[in-house]
Amino acid sequence: MATNSPATATPPPKPADPPSSSAETTPPPSKPPQPEPPSSDSKPSIEPAVVLVPSHSRWFSLDSIHQCEVRHVPEFFDSASSSSKNPRVYKYYRNSIVKYFRYNPSRKITFTDVRKTLVGDVGSIRRVFDFLEAWGLINYLPSSSMNKPLKWDDKDSKSESGSNSAEPPPPVRENTKRICSGCKAVCTIACFACDKYDLTLCARCYVRGNYRVGVSSSDFRRVEISEETKTDWSEKETLNLLEAITHYGDDWKRVSQHVGGRTEKDCVAHFIKLPFGDQFLRYQDGGAASDSANQLKHNAVVPECDSEAGGATEHSKRMRLTPLADASNPIMAQAAFLSALAGSEVAYSAAQAAVATLSEAYKTTKNHRSFPKNTSLQEAGVASNGGNSSDSSQASRFHANILLEKEELDVEKAISEIIEVQMKDIQDKLHRFENSDLMIEKECQQLEQMKNMLFLDQLSLLFQKQSTPKSGERTEGNGVKTN
Amino acid sequence: MKTPASAFYRNPVKFRMPTSENLVPIRLDIEIDGQRYKDAFTWNPSDPDSEVVLFAKRTVKDLKLPPAFVTQIAQSIQSHLADFRSYEGQDMYAGDKIIPIKLDLRVNHTLVKDQFLWDLNNFESDPEEFARIFCKDMAIEDPEVGPAIAFAIREQLYEIAIQSVVSARESRLSKKGRRGGEYTPVSKGGAVAVDLVKLFGPKSSVVRKRKEWDVYEPIVDLLSNEEVDALEAKEERNFR
Repeated sequence: MATNSPATATPPPKPADPPSSSAETTPPPSKPPQPEPPSSDSKPSIEPAVVLVPSHSRWFSLDSIHQCEVRHVPEFFDSASSSSKNPRVYKYYRNSIVKYFRYNPSRKITFTDVRKTLVGDVGSIRRVFDFLEAWGLINYLPSSSMNKPLKWDDKDSKSESGSNSAEPPPPVRENTKRICSGCKAVCTIACFACDKYDLTLCARCYVRGNYRVGVSSSDFRRVEISEETKTDWSEKETLNLLEAITHYGDDWKRVSQHVGGRTEKDCVAHFIKLPFGDQFLRYQDGGAASDSANQLKHNAVVPECDSEAGGATEHSKRMRLTPLADASNPIMAQAAFLSALAGSEVAYSAAQAAVATLSEAYKTTKNHRSFPKNTSLQEAGVASNGGNSSDSSQASRFHANILLEKEELDVEKAISEIIEVQMKDIQDKLHRFENSDLMIEKECQQLEQMKNMLFLDQLSLLFQKQSTPKSGERTEGNGVKTN
Repeated sequence: MKTPASAFYRNPVKFRMPTSENLVPIRLDIEIDGQRYKDAFTWNPSDPDSEVVLFAKRTVKDLKLPPAFVTQIAQSIQSHLADFRSYEGQDMYAGDKIIPIKLDLRVNHTLVKDQFLWDLNNFESDPEEFARIFCKDMAIEDPEVGPAIAFAIREQLYEIAIQSVVSARESRLSKKGRRGGEYTPVSKGGAVAVDLVKLFGPKSSVVRKRKEWDVYEPIVDLLSNEEVDALEAKEERNFR
């Protein structure tokens, strides 16, 4: 149940000192509390005990921290106050208190028990404990499903718990226990209320004309009590409600007046129950819807969409398709919005027609392509002007084929380029090998020359040795040196 | 090493608990008409005074004590807080102080004895974290032991902080105070500041000597019911 939207409407209740006695004695008037499945972490009790949590605390989860908690126990989330009071510490306190209670849910735990087991300063522990107790997350022992046999209808209690109040239920409102001002009997099935003079008459008195002088029968409006308990809001009423909300915002009195026939609480309750309630709250600008519709009327080529869009803006469920509507492309956003407005079937046929005309436009720009497929595409285009669904799909198929061919060509080109590059590579390598070959040959020649020179030297040495033995030593020495 | 002198003359710091959270340990022991209320917890001094009365009322209601306790408890807490606040304005010297902290407490069935060194200069220290890890490591199941350990540590830190304020005051009165040498403050509790020079100087090693191992090892004992009763009786006798 979305408790956030009306919470912004009503000022947050004072968090100071919810009297612990009242929290214990008056369990909040809600429908039978939903049994929560036992928490997955270690439950010391053997059989899985069912933990009861009041319906207004349904948001609670052991793993995360809810906005509600940040509001009620701000000291842990206000980073300015203390570096050590952070959400982790809060979570530790909260989870240990809750686990301690759930260890044995049939008995109430006292603050002192808990305080002894938690490390930290007692002031903050006490505040967390009070918060949990006030919200029924601990020490919640409903003795029976409904303590008092109230004639509250469901919506009253829901709207109360929805308004985030931990205080005891407010006094009786006017729309319960209608007592006829004429015969002082309890109105059961239907009664007639006159707002002008603040009268309530049961059906019998109304028929009998048992009302004051000066009040005419037309001043009364029929109020069905039995119907009130059902949430049978007609389309018109819902539409009125939404209009009123966009106009008056949080002024529920005026909203209920605008809707007519529903009290403030009914309006609030119904509004909460609408699936997109809180989305809509952010959608302040009611006029934007019609503006965008008008714009698109000029832009769109498709004639079909216009009439539908025109009628669709008056549709009561102005849903916003959030995934696409947030797209940065404004046209896309508008298209998404309108398609959501118009409903799925209309959107489908509109889209097909749009595709058909788009393909037609596409074909006119591709005149240089003289493929046989093009002519058939033309035919397809011509045929699809009427908005026939099969032709339009054919047109799109041709479109796809053309694209395919383009892709193929691209791929071929790419491959040929790759081959070229590789060939070039190989050529370069060959070149290099040739060069190195040349160099090696040159070196070979040089070596040969040197060999020859050495041979010559050796020869000359031998000759000189034979001629003069004395100088032979010297030359030997020289020869040795030159060696 | 001439560090002690400079350490002593370090700029004085405003008094506060040398832990990351400035919480006051409060120990209460009140007896009215034969009913005894003993408790120990940590309090946040920045909480408004209205909290004190609320807490007292809550505790009395939870423990089903006679209502006369409310005023007594509130007064006791408030006097503790007043003491704390009186120290708060003054300076304390934050010298090189690594002190041994001793734990010797009994919580329900668990007996804890331990000793370890704690750095007083570390203003980000967290006794609660230490207690939590201690319980986890020693596999202590009783959830009340953790807070008791944190409280004991905090109490000792508080005492030492008070003493440093007192000594700072004295030293200021006695003109420049002690100078030179090593400053080893001795507290009444017997906690002597460890001589850093000797321990961590170049000639010694950081590894503890074997004969000191027993002293610094934590001991956690689970007592049986009779032992608990016996100990409680002994404590009663000591108290009287």
